[in-house]
Amino acid sequence: MSVKSSEITPEKVYKRRRTLVAAGVGVLALPLLDSAYSLLTQEQESTNQMFEPLAALPDSQDLPLTPTAYDTVTGYNNYYEFGFGKEDPAQAEKTLITSPWSLEVGGEGADKPGVYDIADIKGEHAIENHLYRFRCVEAWSMVIPWNGIKLADVIKRAAPNSKAKFVRFTTINDAQQMPNADWAGGPYVESLTINEAMHPLTLLATGIYDQPLEQQNGAPIRLVVPWKYGFKYAKSIIKIELVETMPKTTWWLQNPREYGFYANVNPRFDHPRWSQATERVIGGLGRKPTLLYNGYAKQVAHLYPDLDNRLYFY
Amino acid sequence: MALFNLPIATRKHLLNLGLCLALIWGVYDALMGPDLVSDLRDFTGRYGAYLLLISLLFTPLSQRWKWVKRHLAMRRNIGVWGFIYAALHVLIWIMLEFYYDWSLMLDEIAGNLFILLGILAFFLLLPLALTSTHKAIKYLGYRKWQLVHTLTYVAIPAVIAHHFMAQKTATLEPLLMGLVLFLVLVWRYRHVR
Repeated sequence: MSVKSSEITPEKVYKRRRTLVAAGVGVLALPLLDSAYSLLTQEQESTNQMFEPLAALPDSQDLPLTPTAYDTVTGYNNYYEFGFGKEDPAQAEKTLITSPWSLEVGGEGADKPGVYDIADIKGEHAIENHLYRFRCVEAWSMVIPWNGIKLADVIKRAAPNSKAKFVRFTTINDAQQMPNADWAGGPYVESLTINEAMHPLTLLATGIYDQPLEQQNGAPIRLVVPWKYGFKYAKSIIKIELVETMPKTTWWLQNPREYGFYANVNPRFDHPRWSQATERVIGGLGRKPTLLYNGYAKQVAHLYPDLDNRLYFY
Repeated sequence: MALFNLPIATRKHLLNLGLCLALIWGVYDALMGPDLVSDLRDFTGRYGAYLLLISLLFTPLSQRWKWVKRHLAMRRNIGVWGFIYAALHVLIWIMLEFYYDWSLMLDEIAGNLFILLGILAFFLLLPLALTSTHKAIKYLGYRKWQLVHTLTYVAIPAVIAHHFMAQKTATLEPLLMGLVLFLVLVWRYRHVR
C-alpha cells in the first residue's frame, strides 16, 4: 500500500502529539502523587499550622437554625449496610426488625453491665428535643431536630469505673436484615472518649421531628455528637462498651490517613482530598462557611486543650 | 436485528436521541430525589466521565474489531455529548452548588487539587468541543486540528483523576476507569502517527 506524502505526519507534529499523551499519563498519576505528598508532609503540617485564637471565631450559637425538611433528612443518608448511594438506604425494603431491640451495655469499665430493652430505656429517661447542626465529612450539612436521651444517662446505669476511658459502639450487622451488610467496613464500630460520651450535648437519638427513627436514619437508636463529623454517629446500636484502650473505629481502619478517631469539625483542617472550609446545605442552594466544632466551640472546646494538635481534628 | 441494518446516520440520530433522553431522565430523577443539587451534579459528572472515556476507546478498539471501526463516525457524537454533560456539571457547580459566590469558588479551587483538575479539564475540553465541526477541520487544516485534538489525552486523564479524587473512599469504579485509561494512553503513545 502506498502512502501519500500528505498522510505522513511531520516528525515535529508526531513528537508534540507523543508529548501530550505522555503529559496525560502524568495528569492521571496526580492523585497518587498527591497522596504520596500529603503522606510525607503530614508530620510537618501538624506542627507548622498556625491558628487564629478561638475568640476570633464567629459566635455561631446566636445564628438562627432552619431545620432541614423531614423528607430530606429521611431521604438522603449514608448507611452503607443498606447500599452505597445516598438514596439507597431510604429506598431499601424495611427489613430491619427494630422492635423488640436489646441494647447491651458492658465492657471492663462497667461495674453493672446489663442488657436492656429499648422500650425500657426510653421509658426511664427524659426524652429531650435538640435542634442540632449536622456536618458530614463529605462537606454537606443539615439541621436536624433530634429526640433522644442523654448518652450519659445510659452510661451512668452501668456504673463506670476507673477503667472506663473510652466508649465503644457497635452497630447491628445482619445479612438477613441488611442487603449490603457484608461491605468492607462492617460491623460498624465507633467510639468516643468517656468525657465526650458524658457531655450533655451527646445523645442517643430515638426520633427525628417527634417521629420514631426510620431505618435509614439508624432506627431504633443511634448516636448523635453534634460537634463531630457525621460518620461518628453510629446507627442502630446493639452494644455499648466502656473500655480502657482506644478502640479501632470503622473509618479509621478503612482509611487511617483520611479518617481519624476524633473527627471534630474544623474548617481549617482540610480532608486530604477536599476542603472542609465550607459546606453544602442539603435541600438548599449555595454553600456556607463551616464552623469550628460545628458551632459548638463554647460547649466543647475545653475537652481539647491543644487546638494546634491535628490529632483532634481528624 | 433491525437495528444492525440501519444506516450509520440513523444510528447516530438514535444515539443523540438516547443521550438527550438520558439527560432528561437524569433531571427528572434529581427532581424526585431529596437533594436536587448533588443529584444533578453527580449524574452529569459521572456520565460525562463515562462518555469521554468511551470516546477514547474507539481508536484502539477499531484496530482490532471491524464492528467498532464501522462506528468510528460516532466517536465525535460521544465526545461532544461527554462535553455537554461536563459543561452542565460545571454550570451546576457554579449556579446551584456555589450560587455564584465567586470568592468561595476561588478558595475552593485553590485549596483542592481535585477541583483544580476538574476546572483544568473543562478548559481543555472547551476548545475541542468548539472545533468539533467539519468546518473547523477545514479552517484549521487537518494537521493542526489533529494536534489540537490530541489535547483529549490530557483533558480526559484530568477528568478521571478528578472523578477518582471526588470519592469518599477508594471504590472500584474510578480505579477501573483509571486502569482502562492508562492502557489507552500507553497504546496511544506507542501508536502515535
